[in-house]
Amino acid sequence: MKDQVLDILADVTGSDEVKKDLDVNIFQTGLLDSMGTVQFLLELQNQLGIDVPVSEFDRSEWETPNKIIAKVESMK
Amino acid sequence: MEQNLIATIDNFAVKHPDKIAYNYLGTTNTYSDLKKYSDALADYLLKLDLPKDQPIVVFGGQTFEMIATFLGVVKSGHAYIPVDTNSSLARLESINEIGQPAMYIQVEELPAEMKQVKNITQAQLNDIFTHGSFTEDIDETTFVNGNNTFYIIFTSGTTGKPKGVQISHDNLVSYVDWMHSDDFDIKSDGICLSQAPYSFDLSVMDLYPTLTAGGQLAVLPKETTENFKQLFEVLPKLHINEWVSTPSFMDICLLQPTFDETHMPELSHFVFCGEELTHATAANLKQRFPHARIFNTYGPTETTVAVTQVEITDEILEKYQRLPIGKPKADTRIVLVDEDTHEVGELDEGEIVIAGPSVSKGYINNPEKTANAFLEVEGMNAYKTGDLGQFDENGQLLYKGRLDFQVKLHGFRIELEDVDHHLGQVSLISQATTVPKYDKNHKVSQLIAYIVPEENDFDDEFKLTQAIKEELQEIMMSYMMPQRFVYVDSLPLTPNGKIDRKSLMKEVNE
Repeated sequence: MKDQVLDILADVTGSDEVKKDLDVNIFQTGLLDSMGTVQFLLELQNQLGIDVPVSEFDRSEWETPNKIIAKVESMK
Repeated sequence: MEQNLIATIDNFAVKHPDKIAYNYLGTTNTYSDLKKYSDALADYLLKLDLPKDQPIVVFGGQTFEMIATFLGVVKSGHAYIPVDTNSSLARLESINEIGQPAMYIQVEELPAEMKQVKNITQAQLNDIFTHGSFTEDIDETTFVNGNNTFYIIFTSGTTGKPKGVQISHDNLVSYVDWMHSDDFDIKSDGICLSQAPYSFDLSVMDLYPTLTAGGQLAVLPKETTENFKQLFEVLPKLHINEWVSTPSFMDICLLQPTFDETHMPELSHFVFCGEELTHATAANLKQRFPHARIFNTYGPTETTVAVTQVEITDEILEKYQRLPIGKPKADTRIVLVDEDTHEVGELDEGEIVIAGPSVSKGYINNPEKTANAFLEVEGMNAYKTGDLGQFDENGQLLYKGRLDFQVKLHGFRIELEDVDHHLGQVSLISQATTVPKYDKNHKVSQLIAYIVPEENDFDDEFKLTQAIKEELQEIMMSYMMPQRFVYVDSLPLTPNGKIDRKSLMKEVNE
């Protein structure tokens, strides 16, 4: 699961950094903007069948790869 | 509109002082506040006796003080230049050099490097708003009117120099009258979503049609729209009747299953502008809001927000896989021309030329670029858009892409040469070019920068990218930032020795 999430994230951000530094802040570094976030949520749904209610999407809970992995695992 | 646009807003304020004009996440201001604040500021500015033909820069975010300041400025007879707080220092400096403003008004604080300019500080502005003198001197005779410039919006320009599009009072009246006409059939004094920053001319679509009709602007600032949890908490509480946004923003909202007629029953009109509205977005929206009316519009900043419209009905959705951009407003004519500016045959493709009373008089202090893009057609001011179009047998205009390397990303107009120019200024870059990646709906989804880096000590590409981004943030607007950075040893060249962007575009989009 962890690797799949990281693959999607690397694909959407166009950077492997998310695999190298799991604590990088993806919003502050500009790796992901609003539209990139939308794309990421759609890929989670398409590839992993995980439906993240967009109304639950609080940036502070999704700002690093580690936080994202924890969040996705809690939603399995 | 029979009278001055600003006087129309004032008259409404006199008749309905307590009506709410502005709702910023629950903090509201009335039409009386709007008149009081703008009168006080106009009075202050008139006493400064600034050179009349010079504009005033208004620097800030999306607060009520911004629109009160815009109105105060035009009441004193000056045009305003809205500049967003997210602007880079280099852009501020370019606007200063090209726009030659008489002064700055700091609704938000200017960067320290800009403080040497003549300005009204935040504290002074608040003082003017709260303790200003409300003399009887403020009347229509000092207001911007006729062919005088009302606002100037800076777009990106090639070689890094932005262009300041001058929109006159009468350009704006032609536009606002159209928004109030049967073409849209919008309830006059409803609540309208206001989400675009003021430096982006999409904001004019909600601002003036709403205020001149006595409606309410329901504001969603950037911080809210970026944090989806907050966005969807706030949205249903705004009781919006009219929706104005880019299609990209709608795509975010459609992710929320409760974004529908049941949860937002007051929403009756959707108007889109700024980029292509796709069939998928419109069809999805139609399902969610079966009783609402959806409009697609088109127009460059140079012709005042938008000049064509089409209602997206079931019939249109059935007939067109790629949605049309519609028909021009009644006072405007669209001519499609070939390379020699001759009108093309009836159903042929050509460059879109827009002629009519909402077409700008040109770019401020830039006679060369003005002469290249503006002309006269049938005695009317006309603008060559650089967009390709084609009329079909139903008289619907179809958008066929750009003639040059200009793209739209999330509603923002970006010239690729402009991004290249900025990349070229970065110390870590030897050579670079920017390529758009399109999605299946012909929309740009990403900008990809192909870079030949200078020799450097970075041990990985991410660190190099971060360092490049840091330099770029100093000189370029954030919406122009490429989403991907690809490092190469060399860039492909055309037979003439120029960088071959087209071959990279083909490679990326195959």
